[in-house]
This record gives sequence, structure tokens and C-alpha cells, in this order.
Amino acid sequence: MIYFYDGSMPAFLTAFLLAYADEEATVTSRSLQLTLGAETVFVQADGARAKRAEKRLLGMDRDCLHDLSTLLRSGDDDRDMVAFRYLKFLTQQGRPVRDMLAEDCVLAAVECMRRVGYEVHRFHGFLRFLECSSGALYAPFSPDNDICDLLVPHFRARLPQFPFVIHDVGRKKAAVYDGEHTFVAPLERAEIALSADEEGWQSLWRNYYASVNIPSRERLKQMRGYMPVRYWKFLPEKYRSEPL
Amino acid sequence: MCYTVGMISESKLRILTESAKYDVSCSSSGSKRKNEGGMGNGYAAGCCHSFTPDGRCISLLKILLSNDCVFNCKYCMSRADSDVPRVSASPEEICELVIDFYKRNYIEGLFLSSAVHISPDHTMEQLLLTVKKLRNEYHFHGYIHLKGIPHACDRLVREAAMYVDRMSYNIELPSEKSLKLLAPQKSRESLLIPMQKLHSDVEIFRAEKRKGHFLPAGQTTQMIVGASPETDGQIIRLTQSLYRRLGLKRVYYSSYVPVVHDALLPDVPAGELREHRLYQADWLLRFYGFDAEELVESDGNLSPDLDPKCAWALRNMQFFPVEVNSAPLEMLLRVPGIGARSADKIIRARRYTRLTFEMLAAMRVVLKRARHFITAGGKFYGSENAAAVRGLLSSGGRTPAQMSMFADSRGMALALPSDLETARSALRGEL
Ligand code: SF4
Repeated sequence: MIYFYDGSMPAFLTAFLLAYADEEATVTSRSLQLTLGAETVFVQADGARAKRAEKRLLGMDRDCLHDLSTLLRSGDDDRDMVAFRYLKFLTQQGRPVRDMLAEDCVLAAVECMRRVGYEVHRFHGFLRFLECSSGALYAPFSPDNDICDLLVPHFRARLPQFPFVIHDVGRKKAAVYDGEHTFVAPLERAEIALSADEEGWQSLWRNYYASVNIPSRERLKQMRGYMPVRYWKFLPEKYRSEPL
Repeated sequence: MCYTVGMISESKLRILTESAKYDVSCSSSGSKRKNEGGMGNGYAAGCCHSFTPDGRCISLLKILLSNDCVFNCKYCMSRADSDVPRVSASPEEICELVIDFYKRNYIEGLFLSSAVHISPDHTMEQLLLTVKKLRNEYHFHGYIHLKGIPHACDRLVREAAMYVDRMSYNIELPSEKSLKLLAPQKSRESLLIPMQKLHSDVEIFRAEKRKGHFLPAGQTTQMIVGASPETDGQIIRLTQSLYRRLGLKRVYYSSYVPVVHDALLPDVPAGELREHRLYQADWLLRFYGFDAEELVESDGNLSPDLDPKCAWALRNMQFFPVEVNSAPLEMLLRVPGIGARSADKIIRARRYTRLTFEMLAAMRVVLKRARHFITAGGKFYGSENAAAVRGLLSSGGRTPAQMSMFADSRGMALALPSDLETARSALRGEL
């Protein structure tokens, strides 16, 4: 049976309960996986059941919901099943399993969470803000994982006086800090007017980027390993013309 | 075009950063400074904001306040004798640049250095003025690394240490003799004594739990490798004593790149393989519990063909193989091919089950080299013949770039302090 859900945590937990005993279960939030002929259920979140499941899981491992939330943010195609198998194994063991790395399902989950965490860390460095004429900062990016809101605390601590918008242009959503509160909102396209100096600072930054390089030691493979090409689209030192 | 007053000109920026780039250190780690009502804070793990085509990380804005030098270090393009355009930036120009770069998340902070402009004291005063302005007037709490100026007065140096996160005096060359020859105005004392003083000031500051900050990220240094005749052994021993006696956080090596011609200097750049081996040895000193004496070969150098851990293991086969299910962490870390992350995985996983080679492989512990030095559940899959192992493991003088193992680069930065230069040295062949 294929258990289709909307990607949210309560719906996942509801699906988890329904699919738990089904040896052939496929849990997914991707419409692509709807195979013709396969039996499918669309699982709606059941708040009360999800709450009960949460409570039981927390009794076995008080960090497991944090793990689950991280796994559901992953951009990996198989994230739902990775999360499903991990939680199922946890339930069978009745205690934290994250160190049992010799188990495939645990290793898969741990690696998946590590990739999400690593991308958050990377974007602490790779995110680029554009200064708008209002003084607010706007950072478009297209991460592999659903992490825009996870970046907010870091930048809020650094730049408390600046309202900012971190825009996941792929998922069409944004994490917003208005100078006081933070929230997540759907955002298709942002219309922004850049500040008068923005272009000047970008140009100085490109200039800096070019002058700190040591050309006789070119190691492009290494550069791309650390800073994958798919991220370049939003880095002023890597694009030449106007952004987006 | 006309921009805000205070925006530095492109040509000035180019000159002042071109000459600063041979300082290798770019690390922004080690400070947890809080944002006290302004902009910025420390990020203890350090953070890379970009990478240049030479594969190096950009974390800090690395810039000189001035390239107009009264000193005459032979290897340096800013030396007094050289015919280059001279510029100096104003403290405001530096501050504006830092603030606007930081706000856009281009950088983690500032690495401010300077040529010796007019005099050591004058230069140190200007540096101090700049960092004070940045902290007090621009309310910047991000990372600042400040270069110490040899022969500048103690009072200025100590005051600067209260405003910045890290300071460095570059030891420049690995022996006093070479220093005299190549950097005639810098004496050993003018570099080591301020380092010693700062070290003891940091200790006092910590012991007395004083308010404020005093070099929360400590001191580092750098030396040029390959411009003078010292052996790897001399360099590694010096490094070890800098860590042990002066409490340095990092020692950086920079392979000599000829930027000027001088009869006293080689005309060819030093091999990057040598620099790479030194970084591997340095990493073993700092994180793997090795002693300099264990790493240096009988000819006084590091082996070019083998990484220093492999070379050590092959000289000490009596300790191997070790059983992964019972060996203590210190011993696992000494197994060639097992790095900190693999050792950590093994320690975690073996609490629950008796590990086999298949499980190690499934856990993505790289066994290519390690299998010659371990047993798993009593089984051994390596070669017992040390000479054969040496042949199998030898890199045959490949360059570091070819040895890079990017497959494992993703997790490294999280598993270890993501000081990128150090992570990089570990990644080129997981030690
Ligand atoms: S002191 Fe020596 S190394 Fe520093 S800028 Fe002057 S000449 Fe160059």
C-alpha cells in the first residue's frame, strides 16, 4: 500500500501509525510516486492520534521528534521512507537507536540528518543578502533541503537591526524577520528595489574575490567540492550580471 | 559613479588585498563573542563564506592598512626597496568595508594587517585606532584577527588584544639564521617576546576571570617553508614547542612562492606536497596525540611518499593489528586510514554489536588502508608483509590535489571544528 501524505509532521505521524504493521508500506509525500495500479491511501493528519504517537515516541527517545523534523526537511527522494524505517526501528527497540550505526536504517537516517545540518552550516556562510532601498536585506537561495527558517536565528543574532527575508525560490517560501518577529510565508516572487550602494559593494566584493586568489595554484575541483556549482547562482562573486 | 563617502576605491582595495593574501590564516574559529547591541557575533566553529579558484576558503576580509613599508624583508613585494605603488587606507575606509561586507554576509569578520608604515609604533597605533573604531563607533562584534607589528610598544599591543579575537606574530622563517638573512629588521625576539607576553596576559586574564575580552581565540603564527634550508624535523619540533610553550592555536605554513628575485632566495616555488605533509603532521600533533619525535624519519624529514601516520605505523608494526571492537580511541586514531569521524562511528556502534568488516564497510569506514592494521571480530584482511603494505600504501609522490578525497568532505566540517584549512589538510587523505 502507498500512504500518501502532505509532508507535514502530524500527517506523517498519522501515516506512520497506519502503515506500521504493513510490511509492504511505502510512505511518501511526492506525487511522482503514485504508481498506476498500486493501492493508495491519502492520509489526512489526525491531530489527536498524532499527539498520542508523539508522546509515545518521546517516551522512547526524547530527541526523536527533532530527528523526524530534520528528516522531513531533507530534499532526498527517499526521505519519507528513511524517516519511516528509522522510527519503526526505534519503536521496535524502545530506546534511542541513533548510535546503532551498523543498522542500515539508522545509518541512512543519521547520514540524511547530517546532510541537512551540513547544508544549514554551509548557508551560514554562502547566503548572500542584497540591500534594498528600504534598508531591509533580501537573500534569495535555492537549497537542497527545506531549511530557510532554520537559518533565521543565526542571522537574527547577528543583524538584529535589519529586517530580512530569506527566500527559498525553489520551494517558493520565505523566512521573514520584520525587526521583531519571525515567521514563514509562501513567496512566489519578490519585487525588490536595490539600495543606491548595493551595486558598488557587490563590485568591491567581486574585486576582492579576484584579488585574493593565487592563480598559480588553481584547484578548481577543490573549489567546486567545497562550494558546489548549484549554489553559485546566488553568489555575486560567481555571477557577473544582475541577479535574477 | 559616486557612492557613499567612505567607500574604498577599487584600486586601493586591490593593492591592499593583493599583498595580504599570502597570509594563509583565514580561520574565524574560536570566539564566542556576543552581539552587544550592534552587528555581528563570533561563531566558535568558524565559517567559510566563499572559495576562490585556488581552493582556499574566504572567511575573513584580509587586508593591509598600508603596504608602504620601511622594512626590507627579501621575500616580500611590499618591502622598502621594491618599486610598487604605495597606498594606505583610512580607519574609516576599513570600517565601512567591514560593515557593508559583513551585513551582506560576504565575510565572517576582518583580518587586519599592515606593512610597517613610518614606524612600528605608528603602525600599531593606526591598527589599534581602526579596531577600536570598529568596536566602539561601528558597534561591530564580529570576528577580528589582528597582526602584531614587531618592535611595537607593549602597551599598544596589549590594548589591541582587548579589542580583537585573535592576534598573530608571524615567525616568518623556521630558524633564527634564516630570519636574519631574509628579514633583517625582524629579530627572533621581536616576534617571540610579544607572543610570550600575550600568552601570559591571556593566562592571567583567564585566571582572574576579568570582565571583557582578551584574545578569546588566542594566537596563531605562520612560517614560510622552502625559502630556507631547514628540515621538516626542525619545522615540526618548532611547531610543537609553539603549541606547548606559547599555547598557540594554530601554526600555518606557506609554501614559498617567489614574488621577488634575490640571490638569497630560490627561484622556484616550494613543492606543495611538502606543505601538505607538514599540515598532516601538524594535525597529528594537535588532534591525534602524536609527538614530533614519533613523526620525523631518521633522515630528519617527513616521508614524501607516505602520509606521516602511515609512515609511523609502518615503522611500528609491533602495535598492529588492533581489534576495532576493543581498541581504545587513542589507538584507533593511530590506525592509518581511520580519521576522527570513523573512530567516532566505531566507538558509538560497537557498544551495540560486535563489528565485522562488512559492517565497517556499510558504515562507510574507508578500509583501503586501514585493513592492513586492524582486525574486526578477530578477522584480518590485510597483508602481513610490511614491505608489501608500504608498496600498496605509498602514493608514489602524487600531488595533494590528486589525493583529495571529496567523497568524505561533506561531513567533515561538522564532525570537527570546521576550520577549513585544517579540515582540508585532513581531507586530503583521511589521516
Ligand atoms: S615588514 Fe617585511 S613582510 Fe611585512 S610588509 Fe614590510 S617588508 Fe613585507
